[in-house]
Amino acid sequence: MNELLKELYQEIILDHGKEPRNFGECETHNKSAHGHNPLCGDKVSLTLFVDDDDIIKDIKFSGEGCAISVASASLMTEKLKGKKLSYAENMFKDFTDLVRGSEESLSTIDEDDSLYALKGVKDFPMRVKCATLAWHTFKNALKD
Amino acid sequence: MIKDKIIHKDIRKDFPILSKKILKTKDLVYFDTAASAQKPQVVIDELNQFYERHYSNVSRGVHTLSVESTLRYEDARKKVQNFINAKSENEIIFTKSATESINLVAQTFYDKYMSTGDEIILSLMEHHSNLIPWYFLRDKYGVVIKFANITESGEIDINHFESLITPKTKIAALTHLSNVYGSQIDEKVTSICKKNNVAILLDGCQSAAHLKIDVQKLECDFFVFSGHKTYGPSGIGVLYGKESLLDEMPPYQGGGGMIGEVTTDKASYAELPAKYEAGTPPIAEAHGLGIAIDYMNNVGIENIINHEEELTKYAYKKISELDFVKIYGDGDNRNSIISFNIENIHSHEVSSFLDVEGIAVRAGHHCCQPLMKHLGVNSTSRLSFGLYNTIEEVDIFVNALIKCKEFFIK
Repeated sequence: MNELLKELYQEIILDHGKEPRNFGECETHNKSAHGHNPLCGDKVSLTLFVDDDDIIKDIKFSGEGCAISVASASLMTEKLKGKKLSYAENMFKDFTDLVRGSEESLSTIDEDDSLYALKGVKDFPMRVKCATLAWHTFKNALKD
Repeated sequence: MIKDKIIHKDIRKDFPILSKKILKTKDLVYFDTAASAQKPQVVIDELNQFYERHYSNVSRGVHTLSVESTLRYEDARKKVQNFINAKSENEIIFTKSATESINLVAQTFYDKYMSTGDEIILSLMEHHSNLIPWYFLRDKYGVVIKFANITESGEIDINHFESLITPKTKIAALTHLSNVYGSQIDEKVTSICKKNNVAILLDGCQSAAHLKIDVQKLECDFFVFSGHKTYGPSGIGVLYGKESLLDEMPPYQGGGGMIGEVTTDKASYAELPAKYEAGTPPIAEAHGLGIAIDYMNNVGIENIINHEEELTKYAYKKISELDFVKIYGDGDNRNSIISFNIENIHSHEVSSFLDVEGIAVRAGHHCCQPLMKHLGVNSTSRLSFGLYNTIEEVDIFVNALIKCKEFFIK
């Protein structure tokens, strides 16, 4: 099997793509956003509950899309739960750098990180949007 | 199969891009002609030569280069006229794209023939470019848009279509050949329109390079297609319109080249076709389209049709044998396009997998979101053929689909 594909579709991606974690809607939320990739039709809806100390207490997503976009959303929710907003915004930047192939200045994601599994996307430029859809939706939700 | 060999041995050599290796090792299998066709060497060379030896603006100067450019530009118009069998070259308008052609018709047809409350019929399988220009009219002027249903086999439901027509229906805008199903419009639809005095626009983007086009036989009032899907350059589109209608409708854009006389008080407009060609047109692109039409004529439209029919039938049969693949639409009335999904695998995954095998297919909603909703899917994969594809490539594709399924569903 082709190495690039193996890199793209690591076990963890296929697993989260098939059985996404934190799927649904937060029971109470104070931030939300819908994301949509108009080029391919993939959709994601994100709800968050952020407390007074700017900690993400709960985060859930729903929607439909390819394995990459669903897995990315699922991994993102796992990662962001419990994080402070400022830290989460750094992760946003690091993640978008990672999937575009620049991993020199990452401060919040390292090689042992589950998010690192999405690094293979860098070899499929047309799929970068799939991987970042959930993260851009998160960024939009913060404006809510 | 013999026919296949006659058309192919040398034809593939006409398309330099087909010798490209994907990821340095895989032969390119280009199954995305419905999105855009590859260009034969002669089109590429002629574009270069045009800029090297003949280029200038058209219809303006009197110098040698202006004459040479104008001759080639107008020659391209005659080639298009013959290609689709229009009565007059005045009926051929060059635009920047088929999309612009539809926008032109929507705006100017409304201005002349419609008012608030009038009705337009579209179908659920139209491309966004044959939806949004009409939505603009709905938003701006309050016209009513009705949608014809699509049958399971991917065709307009004729009875439903007919039932939508009222005395207020002014125009129907429909795909000549669906970019999702590959199905060709039933001529009953046009005769129903004629009978009820409803104008009809046919979107020929997918048919122009794959069927014999005769706008007089089709009895359409407007026919649009693009250069880039017919082996020509991008940046050039065609609008065919019946001369009587184009004469009556107002100009679309104002600018140089479309005027008769201009004073500080008013302007009169040029005769057809210049009336609809404001500004410097896509000159080299029109010439390139003319060369692409020559190229198709040299290969032979009948040969192209026969060859693609053989490919489509073979591919449909082979893919139908795979029990994990769902094909949209059925096997009859299908031209050069097959849309499908592999159960439980998103089209993006299929497309990325095939890409690594060197195979280019389209994944997504194909600019047909209402149709995707109708089918209850988020997206599909689509293979589409051009005159350069081969039976062997279909076999490579089918084997890759089997590998794809094994990769994702263990």
